[in-house]
Amino acid sequence: MSHRSDALPVPSGQTRSQVLRDQSIYTQLLEVTRHLQQTMREHFVQLMSRQGLLQERRHTQAIREQEALLSRLLCQMINLLQSGATGGLELQVPLPSKDSRDDVRYGQGTQLSGQPDPVPQLSDCEAAFVSRDLSNRGIDIYALYQLSFQDYNAYQKDKYHKDKNTLGFINLGTSENKLCIDLMAERLQESDMNCVEEALLQYPDWRGQPFLREEVARFLTYYCRAPAPLDPENVVVLNGCCSVFSALAMVLCDPGEAFLVPTPFYGGFAFSSRLYAKVELIPVHLESKITAINTYPFQLTVDKLEEALLEARLEGKNVRGLVLTNPQNPLGDIYSSDSLMKYLEFAKRHDLHVIIDEIYMLSVFDESITFHSVLSMKSLPDRSRTHMIWGTSKDFGISGFRFGALYTHNKEVASAVSAFGYLHSISGITQHKLCQLLQNTEWIDKVYLPTNRFRLREAHKYVTAKLKALEIPFHNRSSGLYVWINLKKYLDPCTFEEEQLLYRRFLDHKLLLSCGKAYMCKEPGWFRLIFADELPRLKLAMRRFCDVLEEQKQDLIAKQLEDAIRE
Amino acid sequence: MFTLPQKNFRAPTTCLGPTCTQDLDGSHGDDLEGECSRKLDQKLPGVGDPATLSSDTSYLSSRGRMIKWFWDLAEEGYRTYHMDEYDEDKNPSGIINFGTSENKLCFDLLSRRLSQSDMQWLEPSLLQYPDWRGHLFLREEVAKFLTFYCKSPVPLKPENVVVLNGGASLFSALATVLCEAGEAFLIPTPYYGAIIQHVCLYGNVRLAYVYLDSEVTGLDTRPFQLTVEKLEMALREAYSEGVKVKGLILINPQNPLGDVYSPEELQEYLVFAKRHKLHVIVDEVYMLSVFKESVGYRSVLSLERLPDPQRTHVMWATSKDFGMSGLRFATLYTENQDVATAVASLCRYHGLSGLVQYQMAQLLQDHDWINQVYLPENHARLKAAHTYVSEELRALGIPFLSRGAGFFIWVDLRKYLPKGTFEEEMQLWRRFLDNKVLLSFGKAFECKEPGWFRFVFSDQAHRLRLGMQRVRQVLAGKSQVAEDPPSLSDPGAK
Repeated sequence: MSHRSDALPVPSGQTRSQVLRDQSIYTQLLEVTRHLQQTMREHFVQLMSRQGLLQERRHTQAIREQEALLSRLLCQMINLLQSGATGGLELQVPLPSKDSRDDVRYGQGTQLSGQPDPVPQLSDCEAAFVSRDLSNRGIDIYALYQLSFQDYNAYQKDKYHKDKNTLGFINLGTSENKLCIDLMAERLQESDMNCVEEALLQYPDWRGQPFLREEVARFLTYYCRAPAPLDPENVVVLNGCCSVFSALAMVLCDPGEAFLVPTPFYGGFAFSSRLYAKVELIPVHLESKITAINTYPFQLTVDKLEEALLEARLEGKNVRGLVLTNPQNPLGDIYSSDSLMKYLEFAKRHDLHVIIDEIYMLSVFDESITFHSVLSMKSLPDRSRTHMIWGTSKDFGISGFRFGALYTHNKEVASAVSAFGYLHSISGITQHKLCQLLQNTEWIDKVYLPTNRFRLREAHKYVTAKLKALEIPFHNRSSGLYVWINLKKYLDPCTFEEEQLLYRRFLDHKLLLSCGKAYMCKEPGWFRLIFADELPRLKLAMRRFCDVLEEQKQDLIAKQLEDAIRE
Repeated sequence: MFTLPQKNFRAPTTCLGPTCTQDLDGSHGDDLEGECSRKLDQKLPGVGDPATLSSDTSYLSSRGRMIKWFWDLAEEGYRTYHMDEYDEDKNPSGIINFGTSENKLCFDLLSRRLSQSDMQWLEPSLLQYPDWRGHLFLREEVAKFLTFYCKSPVPLKPENVVVLNGGASLFSALATVLCEAGEAFLIPTPYYGAIIQHVCLYGNVRLAYVYLDSEVTGLDTRPFQLTVEKLEMALREAYSEGVKVKGLILINPQNPLGDVYSPEELQEYLVFAKRHKLHVIVDEVYMLSVFKESVGYRSVLSLERLPDPQRTHVMWATSKDFGMSGLRFATLYTENQDVATAVASLCRYHGLSGLVQYQMAQLLQDHDWINQVYLPENHARLKAAHTYVSEELRALGIPFLSRGAGFFIWVDLRKYLPKGTFEEEMQLWRRFLDNKVLLSFGKAFECKEPGWFRFVFSDQAHRLRLGMQRVRQVLAGKSQVAEDPPSLSDPGAK
């Protein structure tokens, strides 16, 4: 670690050559590390080639572990050096948690399956550890995955189970509705669900089987209260809403072009636009504070949209559209039809497409509130540029089904998105099941939805009561599977680094949440907590939640004491 | 796989980038497997006319317009075919499809197996977000399955398996994570032409062709033989044109040749790739559809020692071998964990339902059924269908290639083209279609010699008979212009 002192930041009077020297030291370090890794690899390869088969496997395993360990140590070292070289004197890189999960790494934005971190901070040295076999964009994708799914994978390997694994992870981070699995399982096991027809096993219409598109059109006409029957030809069915978004981004934007998104915003689409389409998401930052122009927290106004658009255009960005999520994720709120109309008019004024994600439309559990789907509007300001996305993952709690649908009045867009059908196709057998599910409106209306709403309401009530008792401010009145909570008071200083540390602390207590940074939230300290889980698990999760906050509070007090003594 | 009449359109170069445009330009003729013939007739207003790519009236981005334009060509043909699909009762004069490579011989067996009670299992985790690599239980079964059926010398590992919704998705994901935009894979032609679209649509990766000849010359022992010399030459050529080649794609058993690579050949190609630090993607999607034992097929996973295991990536799927192209299941096997992880991170977009994953695991683990029921019956039926079509061809004096793997025969109709041009190939193809039989023409496989066609024979006997009858009619009306066909050996003919 003799380089370390060289790499530490120099006082403000430093010269240009010193900066350059520091940079070159950093570069050298990287080179050294790369070299080291290469040497290790070659060494291991040599080692392995000498072993017998069985022995080799055991040996390889040991070597892999060793290599992983070394890599991690080196990576940590460089990270420290790097942060020392670029940051302030204080080293703000969180260290790896001390528990034994070896694939949980440090200092990274975290998100779960449904919602990856939109802005991962991949350090160069980390990229250096990814093999040279990948292309640059491959490395980018690899890193994004590592950042996004590590904790989720840790959860997958060590899930809580009430008998078998009481110390396992509880996941209140991934937006999944686990409250109605009993109903869904029963429904899916009915005899109409299982069908093996020749056509289902052969190449499909890549837009989705006609029978399913017809059913989706009927379903949306009814549940979105469309003024006129929707047209199956305007429906494209793919294996998930992220796929739909990805295909839309491909056909509406050229690489480098952008969409506006009000933040906090669902991170999964950031992932989509970045991985394949290379489309930028420009945040329209909303604020929690109530002011003259902000009549409620995180309010989206046309002024803010105009401002963000202007700013983006001044920076030379080519903005092609606006992405809205309604009901909102993570805010759990819905747009009034008036506001929605204003946003749509704003978009029309600037020739922007509007992609509106209504994936939580049937998860509005407060019956006093009416949700207005964009498809219910009598006259859309710009029909040809309004594209709606819906899927069964949230409203029916079947994210494992992989189904997402696009509805657009624009046949040109529908046809262009269809070109992606064969890369995002759904099994014929699954399409049959989905069709059966969607067409049974009697079961949906009389059994599923009332029960689902009731259970969501109860779970919401339980969690919010706990939050109130802890005096934690939160946001969510009516819809979705989550509450958006403010843990600022547990952060000192209130920074994203501290937010990350608190997130880690939850993780150490085997509780997964998602933190605000993953939603491009501008203010540190916000977390999203999923409440759509069974009560026993939810209770335990809330107990762990309270424990963490208590621990955090004690630490804060101790820290303040220390500071006081030092003064 | 279907075919499209060639028409030399110039797409706007601003669209997908010049590299891609060029590639699509030359090879759009082949399309998504399962798409159908794009009958690019005069009657398609606007379609295929570059004028429609004008941005004035479009809501799409320029790449979106480009994508849509190609898709419309496909879509139009798709509709043409499906509007007039042959049906024994309802539409006996409809189009018979010898173009799409699907196995329609074993639906009875499959539907029975898929309807058994073990297939209907349901548990909560199947309804929730999966491990994006595929559920562990499925990856374990895939590893076991491949170990057994590929005759791997060591047990294959579940962590090297990634499961996706089809081979197309896998090509797309691999292209994206192995190549930068504009870089290329080598591929010997004739080849399954849809691959160009798979690697290009998202990945903007191109293909560098290794053109093979039907004529047996030099050290070659059979038509369209791939040799290391030809690979070296194509690689040099690509480099001299400034194209960076990142890998080699091999399809084994080969599509459309119906042949297989010997283990020695395979080894040579792999050594070549290692020498140049190229990745090798080996597509073995027809590995269980080798219906003549004498063929001696060997999976790349059966080799004692891979020259460059970190750069060797194997693909398999149930579409062909289990005749379930609509099920959307494919798998990658690679020892390279970085590649596996990078592909897995794209699986958010290429995932398949948990219930289907469960069913696939059940299917793949049922070796008794596969070995004792499915494979023997499937092979017997394939062999019978192959025998019927090849005897028909022989009776017509038409040379062809097909050794006993895959669903197709690669047919030499050069004697029916007086001038031997691709225009004539197209005209002949259209004549077949006018007589209600759909074939795929050689240009769609980037075959450099005009006059080759792919006949898919894995269909029910009554449809085969009718289709061959229609083929005969077309050829009879045309055969008077025949010259002496070049002699071609048919190793599978005996």
